[in-house]
Amino acid sequence: MIKTDVIIIGGGATGCGIARDLALRGIPHCLIEKGDYAAGATGACHGLLHSGGRYVISDPVSARECFDENMILRRIGEKCVENTGGLFVRLPGDSKIYRERFLRSCAEIGIPTEVISSSRALELVPSLNPEIEEAIRVPDCSIDPFRLCMLNMKTSELKGGLSFTRHRVIDILKSHGRCTGVKAIDTGTGEVKEIYGNIIVNATGAWADRIAQLAGGEVPLTLSKGSLVITNHRLTNMVINRLRPASDGDIIVPNEAVCLAGTTSLAVEDPDKIAILPVEVDTIIGEAGRMIPHFNHTRIIRAFSGVRPLLKSQKLDSRESSRGFQIIDHQNGMYSIVGGKLTTFRLMAEKMVDAIMNAFSLKKECETAQKPLDGQEELSGYPLSKRLADMKNIVCECELVTRQDVEKIIEQTQTRHVGDISHRTRLGMGPCQGGFCTFRALGIMHDLEILSPGQSVGSLRDFLQRRFRGIRHALWGDQLREEQLVEYIYLGILALGKRSEPH
Amino acid sequence: MKFEHCIRCTICVENCPVFRVNPSFPGPKQAGPDAERFRSEKDKTVDHWVMLCSQCKRCDMACPCGVEPAQIILRAQQRYGSEHPRSAAHLLFANNFYLSRLGSVTAPLANRFAGAGIGKKILRRAGITTYIPFPEFSFKTMKKQTKAAGRGSRKVAFFYGCFINFYRPDIGARIIRLLESLNIDVAVPPQWCCGLPALGNGNLDLARYFARKNVASLSDYVDAGYDIVYSCTSCGLCLLNDYQGIMEIPRAKKIAQNAYDLHEYILRLIVEKDIRPAFGEVARCVAYHIPCHLRALKIGYPAAELMKMIPALECHLLDDACCGLSGSYGFKKTNEETAVQLGRRAVSLIRKTGAGSVVSDCGSCRMQLGGLSGMDALDPAEIICESLGIDVKGKKPAAR
Amino acid sequence: MSLIEYDAIVIGAGVAGLTAGTLLAEKGKKVAIVTAGEPTACLSTGCIDFCSNMDNPEEAIAALPAHHPFHLVTKTQIHEAFYDFKRRMAGAGLSYTGDTNRNRHVLSAIGTFKTTCLTPETMQASPQNEQENIHIITFSGLKDFYPGYIISRLKNASFSTYDAGISTTMGLASLFEDENFLETFLLWMEKQNIRENKIAFPAVLGLESASAVKKTIEHRLERPVFEIPTIPPSMPGRRLFNCLKDGFRRAGGVIYWDWQATGAEKSGRLIEAVITGSHGRPNSLNAKAFILAAGSFVGGGLRAGHSNIVENIFDLPVFTPGKREEWFEQDYFSVNHRIGRAGIIVDESFRPVEGPWDNLYACGAILAHVEALKNGCGHGFALATGRAAAESLLEAGR
Repeated sequence: MIKTDVIIIGGGATGCGIARDLALRGIPHCLIEKGDYAAGATGACHGLLHSGGRYVISDPVSARECFDENMILRRIGEKCVENTGGLFVRLPGDSKIYRERFLRSCAEIGIPTEVISSSRALELVPSLNPEIEEAIRVPDCSIDPFRLCMLNMKTSELKGGLSFTRHRVIDILKSHGRCTGVKAIDTGTGEVKEIYGNIIVNATGAWADRIAQLAGGEVPLTLSKGSLVITNHRLTNMVINRLRPASDGDIIVPNEAVCLAGTTSLAVEDPDKIAILPVEVDTIIGEAGRMIPHFNHTRIIRAFSGVRPLLKSQKLDSRESSRGFQIIDHQNGMYSIVGGKLTTFRLMAEKMVDAIMNAFSLKKECETAQKPLDGQEELSGYPLSKRLADMKNIVCECELVTRQDVEKIIEQTQTRHVGDISHRTRLGMGPCQGGFCTFRALGIMHDLEILSPGQSVGSLRDFLQRRFRGIRHALWGDQLREEQLVEYIYLGILALGKRSEPH
Repeated sequence: MKFEHCIRCTICVENCPVFRVNPSFPGPKQAGPDAERFRSEKDKTVDHWVMLCSQCKRCDMACPCGVEPAQIILRAQQRYGSEHPRSAAHLLFANNFYLSRLGSVTAPLANRFAGAGIGKKILRRAGITTYIPFPEFSFKTMKKQTKAAGRGSRKVAFFYGCFINFYRPDIGARIIRLLESLNIDVAVPPQWCCGLPALGNGNLDLARYFARKNVASLSDYVDAGYDIVYSCTSCGLCLLNDYQGIMEIPRAKKIAQNAYDLHEYILRLIVEKDIRPAFGEVARCVAYHIPCHLRALKIGYPAAELMKMIPALECHLLDDACCGLSGSYGFKKTNEETAVQLGRRAVSLIRKTGAGSVVSDCGSCRMQLGGLSGMDALDPAEIICESLGIDVKGKKPAAR
Repeated sequence: MSLIEYDAIVIGAGVAGLTAGTLLAEKGKKVAIVTAGEPTACLSTGCIDFCSNMDNPEEAIAALPAHHPFHLVTKTQIHEAFYDFKRRMAGAGLSYTGDTNRNRHVLSAIGTFKTTCLTPETMQASPQNEQENIHIITFSGLKDFYPGYIISRLKNASFSTYDAGISTTMGLASLFEDENFLETFLLWMEKQNIRENKIAFPAVLGLESASAVKKTIEHRLERPVFEIPTIPPSMPGRRLFNCLKDGFRRAGGVIYWDWQATGAEKSGRLIEAVITGSHGRPNSLNAKAFILAAGSFVGGGLRAGHSNIVENIFDLPVFTPGKREEWFEQDYFSVNHRIGRAGIIVDESFRPVEGPWDNLYACGAILAHVEALKNGCGHGFALATGRAAAESLLEAGR
C-alpha cells in the first residue's frame, strides 16, 4: 500500500510538469503512467517550442502565453532547448493581407519579429524554396519532448516523488463520494498496486474522459489525429512555418539530427486505434516540399500519428479553436487538466498546482520558472556537431549513443523495454530505426542480467512490431532498401520469424 | 546529399583497410554518412579521428548504394585540416613538390641525409616514419618538351607525376620511347604536382593552386588535338575525380574526358587496330598489385590486359589488399602502425603467389611493397618496355 | 564501342551473378561481371538457404505456388548447381556440407534456430536443438555479440570472455589470422577447463583461414567447434563472397568493380552493350548476351519510387504487387507482405517475358514471385537460377 498526497495520472508533459512543480513546493506525490513517459500527444508532436506566431491571429491570449513560456523554458532548459529560431515563409500566392495582420498582431502581443528578404532567408536556410517572397523571423525553438519529461521527473525523483511507468489505472478508489486513491496494474507483471492520496490529478490527455468516468465525472473531448513524418537528416537548422492560416503540413522542425514535418487533422474516436494513412504522408511531403523542395526527394524514415485532446466546447477544426487549457474540478477530489500544448506545459502545471494549493489553503510560490531543470548536466547539449569528438563504444551509430549511456538508463530504470532506452537516448531513432542497435541494447540488458530466460526474443519481437507501425507507410526508395536489410538481419540472420523454434 | 542513400549495410566497413587494423578509426560508415548528420558548416570541427582515413577509396568502390563515403570524409578532412594546426609532417608532405625539387637539386647530399642515422632521427622528430627507406632523389628530372616532334598518327601530352619526375625519370623516358615506338608523338607539357599530396595533407588551397595551373596547361594541349596520358594511377584519379570534385576546377571535365591511363591508351589503340605491338617474351613471374586508386579510376585493369599478351609472363593479379602506404599517409608517425600492418599483409599475399617481383602502377605502392619485402618493385610500363625491347641510354638508379 | 567484346556480361556480383558467370567461364566463354558495389551476400550468414518451408527442401519447392520461378529450374539443374557449388567451395578451402533433400538448423546469435540447407564447415557442428550443451567464447567489448541471449534460451550453455584488446568482428577476424595470437588464445582456452561438449564462437575465426583455425581449435580442445553468424559485418558472408569471386576469376572471368550500369545500347531485339558511368568518359561494354542478376531492393536491382517499382538498366517492366499501401501488412512478422512478389517475370528460358530482348536473361532475387522471406529462398535460389540462366544462354548460343 502506498500513501501520498497528490496522485498524478498521466506521464506526458503536463503530468511531469505537475510532478516537478509539486516537488519544488514540497508536496509528496506519485505519478502513474500506463506506458513510458510521453506516450500520448507529447511523444507524437513536433517538439516545437512556439514563439506564439502560429496563434497571433486566431488566439492572441494563447500566443502571448506561448511566447512567455518559450522565454522561460529557454532559460531553465539551456541544454535541452535548442535555440533554432524560426521563419514564417511567404510563398508566391500567399495572402499579403494575412502577412499584414500577422505582423500587426505580433507587435500588439509583443512577439518580436524581423522581416527578412528572401536572399537573406536563403542564406540562413539554404534548402529553402528559392521562390519564397520573404520571411519573418521569430523566436521559435525546438526540444525533444521525451527529454523534457525526463528532466521534469528528475526534479520529482530528487525530492522523493514516486513514479510508476507501465502501470495502467484500472479503478479509482472512493469513499463517501470522494476519491481516495487508485488501483493500478503493472502491465509487465500483472501485480495490482493500490495507491492512496488526497487529490487525484487527471492529466491523461486523450484518455481524460475515460479516467474521469472511473471517478464518476466526465471530460467531454474531441479527439483529433495529427500525423508527422521524420526525415533522414536535418534539412533546416531553423523552424520553418508557412505564413498563412494554419493548414496541413505547414511546419518543419529540426530536432536532434532529423526534421519533423507535419501535421494533419482528422477526427478520431478511439485514441488507442490510430494509424497514419498514406494520403497523409503524401500531403505532408507535398506541403513541406513547397517550403523546402528537397522534401520531395528526401528520405523519410518514419511516419506516425498522435492524438490531440481538445475540449468539446471548442470548434471542430482543431487548429482554429483555442489551444488554451482548462482545469476541471470534478468536486470529488479529482481534477482534470485538459487542452493546451507542449509549449505551455509549465504554465498549465503551475495553474493546476496553484489550484491544489488553494484547495488545501497552503501557501507556497511556484518556482518552476525560476529554477533550471535538473539533470541537464548529463546532456551533451548543442550544437550537435560537438558529439563527434569521441567515437568510442558506440552502440547506436546513427545517433551516437554509447554503451555507457545505455547501461546508465538500464541501471536507473531497470527496464526491459528497448523503447524506454530509445526515449531517453534516441537509440534507434536514426535512419536504420534500430536495425543494429536494438540487438545491441537487448544484448546489453543480457549482460546486466536484467532479462529473465526467454524474455529477450519476446522483447525483440514486441519492439520490432511497434517499430513497424511507425515505418510501414514510409517505405519506398532508400528506406525500403533499408527495411529490407533490417528484415534480412532480424528474420534471416537472427531467425526471429515464426519459424524460430526447432521442430 | 549522397549520404541519404546509406542503408548502414557495413559493406564499406568490411572493405576499409584502416578499420581492420586501427581501432581508433571508427570506419567509413561512421566517418562518412553517420557523422554527416551531425556536421554543420557553422560549427567548429571536432572530429579529429577523421584524419585517420587513408583515402584509399575502397569504401566508395564497395558501396552498393552510391554513398561515396570517401568523398564525404575527404571534405570533412579538409574542414578539420583548415581549422586546426597542422603538424610538421603534414606541412612537409603538402609541399612535397617544392621539397622534392630541393631534394632533386641537391640530390647526392639529400639522399645521403635521408639515408643517414641523423637524418632519420630528424625525420622522426618531425613526425615522419622511416620504416621503409625514402626513395632516392634524382638529379636529372623530366625535361619539358612543349611540342610533339614527328609525324605520328597521334599526339600525346605526357603527365608524368612527381614520383617519376623526382625519383625515376628513367621510367618516364622509357614511357616516352614506348609511345614513340607505337607511332605516337609525345610532348611533355609544363606541369606541376597533381595536387594530391596537398589534398591529402589538409591543404586544399595549395592543391587548387597546382590544379588550376595543370588544367590551364593541359587544356591548351587538348585544344591542340593532344590526348593526355598519365602513368601514375593516383595522379590520374586526382586529375579525373578530385579536380571536378572537391577542388571544383572549371574546365576540369574537359581534362577528364581527354585523359587516359598509359595502358588504357595503348590497349585502346590495339583494340582499334591502330597498332600491333610485337610483344616479346618476358620470362618472369610477377605479382601485379593493383593500386587502390586504379580500382577507383573505373577503367578496369588495362595493364593486366596488356601483360596477358606477353608470352612467357606469369602474372598474378592481386586486388584485395591495400598496401597501406597510401601516398604520404603511411609516412606519418601516427599512421605507422597501420601502414606496417597493412603492408605486411599485402606482402604475405604477394609471397603466396611465389612471384619473383612485384608490379604496380603506383609509385607509392612500389615503395611500400618493395621496401617491406625486399623484392624488386616495377612499374608495369617497365615490363611492357622489356617485352618490346625498349630501353634508354644512361644508368638506372641502383635499387636500394 | 568497348575495348573488349565479351561472350556474356553479368550484371551483379552476388551469388546468382557469380554462379552464372563462373559456369560460363568454365565452359570457355569470355565473361565479365559488372557490379555497382559489393553484393548483399557479404552480409549473409554464409549459409545456403534453399527452401525452408518443410524439412525436405525439394518437397518444399515442389509445393511452392505455381508461378514461383523455382519451378522453371529442373531437379537436375538444382542438383548440379549444388554439386558445383560444393566442389568449388571445397577447392577454395571453404567446404560446405548438406544435401538438397534435408534442411538443418544453425544456432543464431539470439538463441533461435535458423533453418538452412548447406552450411560452411565452421558451422557444421552447430546444435540442432536446445538440449545440446555448449560453451560459448566471447570477447571483451565485442558489441555485436552477446552470449546472454543464448544462455537465456539454452539450458545447458555457459560462456567465458577473452580480452583480445579488439572489439570489432573484423578486427578479431584479422587477429585470428595471426599465428601468435592464436597460440596465446589456445593456451588461455586450455586453462578454462571447459566441461561442455561443444564450443561456440561468434563468427570471427578469421577471414581467409577460418576453416583451418577452427580445425586447430578443435584439435587442441578435442571437441567440436562451431561459429554463430553475427549481424553485419559478417565474416562468413564475406568468406562466401571472396571464394565465389576468386573462383570466377580463376576460371578466367573479369570483374569490373563499381561500374554501375546506367543504361544499355540496343539494336533491334538485341542488347549490344551496357553503359556505365565513369570519371571521364562513360564506359560501355559490349557482349553477345547479358544476364541481369542485380538483386532485389537491397541489392539495387529493383527501385521503389513513391508509387511504382522500376528496373533502371534495361527498363524492364516490373511486376508490382498493387499500390504502395498494399505492399506491407500491418503485422511485421507476416510472411505475406506483398512486396516479396515484386520483380521481373521470366519464362522457362529465363528471359523476361515482357522483353522484347532475345539476348537478355535474368536470375536471382530480381525475379518476381520469389517471396524470399516467406519461403526461405536465399542463396540456394540464386545458385539454382544462376545456373539455369547460364545454361539457357549457352543453349541459345548453339
